Amino acid sequence: MEEVLFIQHDVIPALWRGMIVSVELIIPSALCGLLIGIVIGVSRVFGNAFLKTLANTYVAIFRGFPLVVQLFIWYFGLPHLGIYLSPYVASVLGFSLCSGAYHSEYVRGALLSIKRGQLLAAQSLGFTKMKMIASVVLPQAFRRALPGCGNEIIYLIKYSSLAYMITCIELTGEGKIIASETFKYTEIFLIVGIVYLLLTSVASWVLHRIENRLRLPGFDNYGL
Amino acid sequence: MTQTPVLRIEGMTKRYGQKEVLRDASLSVNEGQLKILIGPSGGGKSTLLQCINFLVTPDAGRVWLKGEEIVRTQKKVLYEYRQKLGMIFQDFNLFDHLTALHNVTIGLVRVKGMSKQDARDKAVYELERVGLKDHISKYPAQLSGGQKQRVSIARALAMDPEVMLLDEPTSALDPELISEVLTVIENLRANGMTMVMSTHHMGFAREVADEIVFLEDGHILEVGTPDKIFLNAECDRTRAFCSKILELYGSA
Repeated sequence: MEEVLFIQHDVIPALWRGMIVSVELIIPSALCGLLIGIVIGVSRVFGNAFLKTLANTYVAIFRGFPLVVQLFIWYFGLPHLGIYLSPYVASVLGFSLCSGAYHSEYVRGALLSIKRGQLLAAQSLGFTKMKMIASVVLPQAFRRALPGCGNEIIYLIKYSSLAYMITCIELTGEGKIIASETFKYTEIFLIVGIVYLLLTSVASWVLHRIENRLRLPGFDNYGL
Repeated sequence: MTQTPVLRIEGMTKRYGQKEVLRDASLSVNEGQLKILIGPSGGGKSTLLQCINFLVTPDAGRVWLKGEEIVRTQKKVLYEYRQKLGMIFQDFNLFDHLTALHNVTIGLVRVKGMSKQDARDKAVYELERVGLKDHISKYPAQLSGGQKQRVSIARALAMDPEVMLLDEPTSALDPELISEVLTVIENLRANGMTMVMSTHHMGFAREVADEIVFLEDGHILEVGTPDKIFLNAECDRTRAFCSKILELYGSA
């Protein structure tokens, strides 16, 4: 009985609170990350030499630094420059920038998969480079990038658990607090793990729906 | 009679590294003329066509459209010039994510700034002209090769080009589909469209071309009427090439 009351009164409210914070971290980070990924990916394929170098450097840094280190820099490092970010903002910033670097690789691969002939056809119709990218290349590349980008979003859901390292108390943070108060590490983290599993399941269901919605005859659905 | 050629190119040269794929090619096409480029594969036909609308940047060479020289370094001039040249490719190059209809409307809306409704009307008209009325909402993957090529012709025609450039439009098609595409091209010619086309289809070339241009190793070796090129070529190489074709296909 005591156990049930404990779960009902302490565990569930705390984890619920944590999950809300997690979702609030994940959704903006996923969207900003995707946007950054598209911009960086396009720059890496279609940009001029300067843009390419800039975008490649970005990816090298944000994919190369461990994410925790990046978060520490945003949260503990920036105050030395007089910039103070809240734990939440520092987390979203860190996640978006890192996620964007990974997304850009999926986007780049997808952009490169668009046949050169279609680019020639667009140019021969008088498309400017920007219009060609926007109306011919990206709509196709986005469909091809989606499985990879979805993978990155699923991954983001789990690495959002690093936010508690810079005092943004989300699902894992709340779990850790209760666990260390009660020493019920196994039970609490099992529940925390299951909540992440639920979040990733919902995300993959949504991503799958989007993929299906965007599916076109003869485009990418081999054998279907 | 002298008239200003619709399209004139002079001294077109293109090198890839050490290899010169096009050397000093000059050409002028009059209103309503159909010029056909023939010659061995790798002889520079595609490069020449793609240099004309600067899809390939030539190392040297000048282009005039209706007497006006095109300064390709001015982006705006270049984009407007390209709208006036319709280009047809060997492998169709349709936009895979768009229906036949939208393959045609996209240029009208995005490049010409036409309203969606006007673009749709125009596209339907052009698709009807190439006999695809019943296929406008199909995606490229649902069309046969001949239908795809006809969509790409409709897409180019919708832009109201002054000249059409056709780069081996039938080479990826089987004989039945070839004839449906050639019929469309013949109709264009009958309607007075100015065209430059490369092909290995000698029977067609001989029948409908106003002038034939023989290209080999990046050189224009000979230019003349179909009769001259096929029966009375001055250049040995032209004669050798044409006789091979005759051997293969019986009468050219």
